This record gives sequence, C-alpha cells and structure tokens, in this order.
Amino acid sequence: MRRYNLCVIGAGPAGLSAAIEAAKTGMSVGVFDENQKAGGQLFKQIHKFFGSREHKASIRGFNIGYELLTEAKALGVDVHLDSVVIGIYDPLRITVCEDGCITNYAADNIVVATGASENTVPFEGWDLPGVLGAGAAQTMMNLHGVQPGEKIIMLGSGNVGLVVGFQLLQAGCKVEAVVDALPHVGGYGVHASKLARTGVPFYLSHSIVRAEGEDHVTGVVIAQVDSHFNFLPGTEKHFDADTVCLAVGLNPMSQLTRMAGCEMVNKGGLVPKTDKYGATTIDGLFAAGDVAGIEEASSAMITGRIAALSAAKRSGFIDEKQFEDGYNENHSSILKLRKGMFAPENRGRMDITKTDEGYPLSVSLLENGFVSDTEIRTFPGVISEEGVHPVIECTQNIPCDPCQEACRVGCIKIGEGITSLPQVNADKKCVNCGRCVAVCPGQAIFLVDEETENGFGTVTMPYEFLPLPQKGDIGVGLDRAGKAVCTAEVTDVKSRKEFDHTNLLTVKVPSEMVMKVRFYKGKEAAKHE
Amino acid sequence: MSEIMDRSKDIGEFIPRPDDDVIICRCEEITRGEIRKAVHMGLWTMTEVKRYLRCGMGLCQGQTCSKTVKVIIASELGIKPQELEECTARPPVRPIELGIFGNEVEKL
Amino acid sequence: MSSIKADVIVIGSGIVGSSAAYNLAKEGRKVIVLEKDMIGNGGSCRNGGGVRISGRDPREIQLCAYAAKNIWPQLSDELGIDVEYKKSGYLFMGYEPAHKKMMQERVEVCSKYNIKMKIIEGDDIYKRFPYVSKHVTVAGWTQDDGVANPLKATLGYYIAARRLGVRYITGEEAVKIIKIKDDARQVLCASGNIYEGDAIIAAPGYFGKDLLKTVGIDVPMQKKLNEIIVTERAPKMFDHMIGGASGHYGQQTENGSFVFGSGSGRELFLFDKNEKTSTEQSPSFICNTLGIDIPFIKELKVVRTWSGWLDRCIDLVPVIGKIEEVPGLYVSIGSSGHGFGPGPAVGRVLSELACGRQSPVDISKLHYDRFDYVYKQDRYKEATVGGSFG
Repeated sequence: MRRYNLCVIGAGPAGLSAAIEAAKTGMSVGVFDENQKAGGQLFKQIHKFFGSREHKASIRGFNIGYELLTEAKALGVDVHLDSVVIGIYDPLRITVCEDGCITNYAADNIVVATGASENTVPFEGWDLPGVLGAGAAQTMMNLHGVQPGEKIIMLGSGNVGLVVGFQLLQAGCKVEAVVDALPHVGGYGVHASKLARTGVPFYLSHSIVRAEGEDHVTGVVIAQVDSHFNFLPGTEKHFDADTVCLAVGLNPMSQLTRMAGCEMVNKGGLVPKTDKYGATTIDGLFAAGDVAGIEEASSAMITGRIAALSAAKRSGFIDEKQFEDGYNENHSSILKLRKGMFAPENRGRMDITKTDEGYPLSVSLLENGFVSDTEIRTFPGVISEEGVHPVIECTQNIPCDPCQEACRVGCIKIGEGITSLPQVNADKKCVNCGRCVAVCPGQAIFLVDEETENGFGTVTMPYEFLPLPQKGDIGVGLDRAGKAVCTAEVTDVKSRKEFDHTNLLTVKVPSEMVMKVRFYKGKEAAKHE
Repeated sequence: MSEIMDRSKDIGEFIPRPDDDVIICRCEEITRGEIRKAVHMGLWTMTEVKRYLRCGMGLCQGQTCSKTVKVIIASELGIKPQELEECTARPPVRPIELGIFGNEVEKL
Repeated sequence: MSSIKADVIVIGSGIVGSSAAYNLAKEGRKVIVLEKDMIGNGGSCRNGGGVRISGRDPREIQLCAYAAKNIWPQLSDELGIDVEYKKSGYLFMGYEPAHKKMMQERVEVCSKYNIKMKIIEGDDIYKRFPYVSKHVTVAGWTQDDGVANPLKATLGYYIAARRLGVRYITGEEAVKIIKIKDDARQVLCASGNIYEGDAIIAAPGYFGKDLLKTVGIDVPMQKKLNEIIVTERAPKMFDHMIGGASGHYGQQTENGSFVFGSGSGRELFLFDKNEKTSTEQSPSFICNTLGIDIPFIKELKVVRTWSGWLDRCIDLVPVIGKIEEVPGLYVSIGSSGHGFGPGPAVGRVLSELACGRQSPVDISKLHYDRFDYVYKQDRYKEATVGGSFG
C-alpha cells in the first residue's frame, strides 16, 4: 500500500500550511481535497485579509490560496484534488475516491483539516428555493460567476454575513437588510460600515419570522425579538426579496475524526479533543483549522503548521529543540491574532464598552452598523489638519496593521500590538499617495482635504464596484449611514496595480461634508433606491 | 450508552405548536411535529428518532438538519442538546457511486 | 439490596425481546425490558430486512414459515405502525453448476414444508428479471419469501409494547442471572440494580454469551462482523428480496433506497474488537459483487455503510426455548445472521413458554442442550456459499 509520512485531509489554509511545514522537515506528504481547486474557503474569499504581514494581511484570500498551493507543490507535496477521503480506518489508513476508483493509503501521521459547514435556521419557509447559506452564495458568485438572487436578506451579522453581504453588492445584488437576533453586530465594525454606507440597513435584535412564496422566495417577514429570542408582537416588517442568505455560524465537519475513534468535545459543534499541539486522542492523528474549533483562516494556517511540527517530531524528522522553537514562533504569532474584543474567549460578550486604550466603543456601530458623526471624532485615527491627510475610521481592537507599513512618511502609527487602534500623526506631512486607502482590508481609511477651493473639499475613498465612475461624473455623496447628503463630483479615479483592484475614488464635496461623505453613488443608481 | 434511562418516565404531554409543520430534514421532508411526536412515543435518542423517521438518512446524511433535530429532541426531553448522543460516524463521508466504490485500484 | 419486581424480566430490546414483551403485555403481564444500549441497537436495526423461509436449515424453517403466515401480514395493523412487510418473493442468483446443485437441495427442503421454490435458468431469468446480468446463469425464485423494514418493525414493537405499559430501561446492562434455590429469578446489572421476575426471557444477542454462562449455560458461538451499504433513493426497480451466491443479500426499500449486506470473508481474522467498526474492505466487496449481478445499481450513490455483529452459532441455527435445567429462564440467542424474519415468532413463542403454555411452533431441534455431547451434533451443511448467512 502507498504510504506517506503525513497524509493531510483538506487542502484549505490549515491543510496546505501543514503540508508545507511538514515537507520542509523532509516528510513525504500527500494532501487530499474533494474540490477541484485547492485552497478550501480561501478560493472564494475575494476580500483582503486582516492581521499582519506574517499572517498575509492585505492579500486577497484566493491569492493566499495560490501562494500556499504553489509553495506546497514546489516542496514536492503530492496534492490530490477531486479526491474524497471517504473514511479513516484503523490503524491510520485512509480510503480515497479519486479517478473513478477507490484506493487505500497508509500514513505514519494524519492531519485532519476538513473545515466546517454552515449552520441552518428552520424558520417557516426556509425550505423554499432561494434560502441558502451565505457561504453557498459566495461560492456561486465568486467561483461560478452566478448571481444568487436580486433582492437579498442576510441573516447574521458575524464576519461571514458582513463580508458576503458586501460581495453580494459587488456582484450587483441588492442587499435589503442585515438581520441579527443579537443586539450587537457580531463581526468587525469596519465590515458593517462598508455595508451601511452603501445604504444597507441593519436590524439588530430581529429575526426572521418566515420566508414567503409558493415555489420560491418572494418575500421575507422579520420581527423584533426579546432577550430570550421570542418574537415581540406588532413588530413585523415585510421585505420583498427573492433570496435569504443564512450566516448563522459554522459546524465543524469532524465526521472523519469521530469515525477514527477520537474523543470528542463540544466547541460550537463536535470537534476532536486536541492538546495545544494539535494532537487528538488517537496517536498519530492530528486536527487543525476549523475542524478543531471555528476561528479564522489566519489562525487555521498557524494551527496547521503546529500540527505538522507535532507530526514531524513524532516521526523523528525534527528534534525536541527544533519542535520547541517552531511551536513558540507559531504560538506567539497566533496570540497576536487572539487579542482584542474579537478574540475567541471574548466571543459573544455584550459587556465590552471600551477599547483596550480606553476609548468608548461606538454604540451606533454596534447597534446600527455605522459610527455616528459625533462618535467618530473621538478616535485617534480621526484628526483635523490642514491639507490632505488620512482619516482612519478604525474604532475597534482588531488584529490588523498593514496601514502602518503602507505609509512611507510615517503618518500612521499602530501602538503596542497589532490590535491597537491606529493613530494619525499630525506632525508628518501626508503625500496623498493613497496607499493606506488601498491597503486597508476594512476599507476604513480615507484621504480628506477639508478645503481645496472656496467652500469645497475632497474625500478619497476605496472603491471596489463596477462600473467604475469616470472623472467628471456628478453623483451623490452618502454618509456613514448610507443617507445621501450632498452632490458629489468625481475629480479623480486611480487604479494602480499595486492597489490590487482597490480603486481610489476622489470626490469634491462642500467643505462641511468632508467628514460625513464616505460613499458615492452615480445619480442614476441613487435615483433607483 | 452509559446513562440509565427509564423510558416510562413522564416527559409530559405532546402539545401541538404552530410551527409543527415546518420541515426540518429537507432531504426526507420530516417536520418538526413528527420529530416531537416521535419523542413522545418513546424514541429518546438521535439514532432511534433517525431510524424511525428517516431524518438524517438522505443525501446529506444529517449535515443540514442534525443540529436542529438535536435541539428539538432535547427540548422535548427537558435536557441540554449536548447531553444527546451523536449518530455514529460512518464511511463514506460523501456519497459515492456504487460502481466506483466497488472499483478498488492499487496505487503504489 | 432490594430488587425491582415484575412478572417477567426481558433482557434485550431487539425484535425478539420486544415482540415477547408486547405479547406478554397484551395479556396483562407486568414486564420490564432491560437494554444495555439503546432500543434495538444490535442486529435488529442493522440487518437487511429479509423475511425468508427458503434457504434455511430445516430445524428453523417452521419458525420462519409461522412468522410469515401468522404474524408478518397482520403486523402493521396490529402495532398501528407500518412495518412495510411485503410477500414479494426472493430471487437468489447463482453463477455455476455448483450453485444450481445447492439450489436443488434447497428446493427439496422447501417442498417438505410446502414452500414453493423453483429454479430458473438462462433466458428465463432475463425475461422475467431484466435487470439481472448474464453473469447470473441460474436462479432460485421463492414467492413465499418477502421483506420488511427492520427499523420500523423493531421500533414499532417497542412503541406498541411501551404503550401497553411495558417498562423499558436503557443503559442497563445485565451481567448476571441469579438463581434463588433452583429457579432463575433475578437479573443483576452493571449498575448494581437487581430486577426480579417469575420468568426471565433473555434475547441478548452475541454479548449475552457471558450472561448465560453465569447460570452455567454455554452456547458455542463466535461474533462475526457483517457490513451493509445503503444507496440514495431511486425509482422502483423491484420489490422483492435478492441475494447472490457471492454473498450479498438485500432489497429495495419502500423509500426507494437499496440496502445490501455481506461480508468480505476476512472479518473473523481481522477483528478482535467489541465496537461495531467499519472496514475498508467489505463495502467495496459488496459494491463489486452487486454491480456484477445487477449492473444498473452501479450508477447509484452509496450514502452510508454500517456494520453489526452476527452471533454465529456453531451449527448456524439459534438456541431457542425453555432452559429446563434452569427453571424460569427462556432464551433466544445465536440467530447467526438470519434472525430478523422469524424474530416476531420467536418473541411470541417465548412469551407463550413464559406463561406456562406450549410453543405454537416445533422448536425441539433448537434445544439448548444439543451441544452437550459431540456425538449429538447433527452434521448440517453450511446454509450457503460465501459465508454470508452466518
């Protein structure tokens, strides 16, 4: 039987990272993935990632996927695509369905990195065509180029719901509302802001009563809920819609580890019990990524590497010291990500009211998806100065720091640790290069000039929609809440290769509007709202 | 199964709910009401309910519905969902054509 | 320690135990059923659902015929639950002259008990059963055989028995049968609980072997893993049971999915565990052999496989009946992979015996002490080729 030193099941961020790390130690590695493309969830993530350079920040997800796959292949990893591992058998053997047949492989070690699937919510009408997972909608759009629908209700305001909601807008769909039963937006505030400023309303403390329609969704009724998630009578709201996207959490796909006999624990779903080195209760069987506990792709890459190091040590490819060094390096990397209000241990907490630095969190952001005009001025990234300067509307402790590196003249500084809020340094002169605007994965940085000519100023914003406006277009400026507040004239559109498809749109607006306008719509588009 | 359960214990009457005809298992079209009634007939584990009603036996093998089915059964029994056992994990973890499953090829 | 009392203590909640409990409850007896796991989680909810009289050892044919005639056709109405029984026949497929010879022997045995089995060959097979491939050269067809749904039947008996007041206690593993003077009266469980009754019916599956040894009854059995596959739902192709000399057996169920079981033949040598594990060999073996005989099925997707233990008795038929030397004890064990079809009848037989009445079916050849002396052992051939039936 063909034997590998390490079999990795799943070619997502955790699996590929594990394969790369193991191959570097000299192990023979076979990776098996059921999809035709490697990268797992990465291949459909078209947004730029957070974190720091070591976590591949500001690189679009699918590019991270390509990078990992290329590196793995260059190291001699056998990547089997379109290959379904249908079972794990005693002792450490797998059966793979590939090329129209089944083949058994033996392994000295196995890393299970099979990820997670989407949760569902069985409201009345949830089985109508048109109700689908947010991840499924994402696959449809980003992989197959198919619009999931025209009028979408997004249920769930975690990062998946917010990120997919924005991508639905980019695909030309109309997102009628983001609905969440909890009283606070669950994902990063910057993701919510991207949606809110285009006019998408948020309905927190609401849930779906029913989806209506005969043979497909034609409408959705939502209503407010109390703290026990019971509907409050008289609060129903009706939306015309043809699609409901469910972004209500993920469920680890841990069936293979259960089949192998691992002891299982409950962690947002059934996961194999693992120690901090990724080892399950079966000797030689490791787990990494979402299947070991739902987190992010950036943490998946790290847990994949740690599991590979554990396997390498177990099989004698590295010694104790090499293992300790490798583990410590990865461990400190993941600790940088697991800080701040979005750290795993803080998930679900409703009682955080201040940032780590002591700034009051924007209540409007948590309850409506956008920072209010009065709140925005209180943050260190938002200053007023003469001439063009960056305005950074990043108001929560998110592990992310590419803006600091992007600015070559030192205008932007992040404090101690990458979760610190970015500050704009008024002492340094901004040169209007726009790199900070393009690099911010949260699209939260703007270049503002409060007075360029009599009574007017300019706002430069990140813009990732087609068709791109042209210089000279006259449209409307929308504020953070998505409300049209003034006429806006497009004075510049910059699309540079180094901006990686984040265009820079500069609009001229009345001076008193430069601290309000954060989005632009052409007159025609604005009329149809 | 280490926990002792007296199946004659009173778990209360079956009380109809307005959402009893919402389909929970889409593959096999099993409703919430059917699952709740099964519990009141004495079927108190995920596996027994699944075997009797077929929820979780369709193409997706419970990937979509089993979390919800667990919550429904647990609610009727007055216990936490985590206290219910999970159905045995079995190969193949994805559906595979019988002709392919029967076509073993050695690769060295 | 004080014991929990009932008229009859039943060990095992499978089709036999639950059928016995149901029948006892119908006449007003107070019954407690002890189940170590969950309802019917042994062979009763794992088998292929065949209600087959043909191809059986003569010692147990009457039991199965009784079930097929007196219980199965009325069972859905009786329990108020559709057990999906059909007397739709059984097609047994063979590939070479040796198989024809085996079928002829079966025809002879069947005819002694008034069961009509006939042999068809060549084109006659393909005309009547167009989905059968030319690899099958000879087949045995028995109209009196049929199929049912083991899950609905087993759980159906449980639901109906419970409705009649039978008290089921799951998670309660019987570890010792205790005699008070000469009579078997008490059952001690791993929990320390003791149950007591005027009669004890043990239908415990393979793992009851050690339990019976606590009162000096040793049934020569081994456990054998069998595996089974189930496909997605498909349009109706046939409604009878089919089986092949290569070892597979199964049906197309009411909901349209195909269920087929077998063994690769290696299980006795590879496995030494108590868990009902899956192997990477048997399912492919089933798929391979099945695909040769009925090729249309190769396009259908297999959605799940599972496994179970056969309690394989040394002479491939069970021990059923009253244990005279341990008064109060009634047993059914060692059904060797073909206990589902006769199951409801076995339960009724044990309930009659436990009430002090005669068995409605002759079970004398299934007596527990037929193993006492080697010379008593009748030499019966293996019931089939390929080792699947036990």
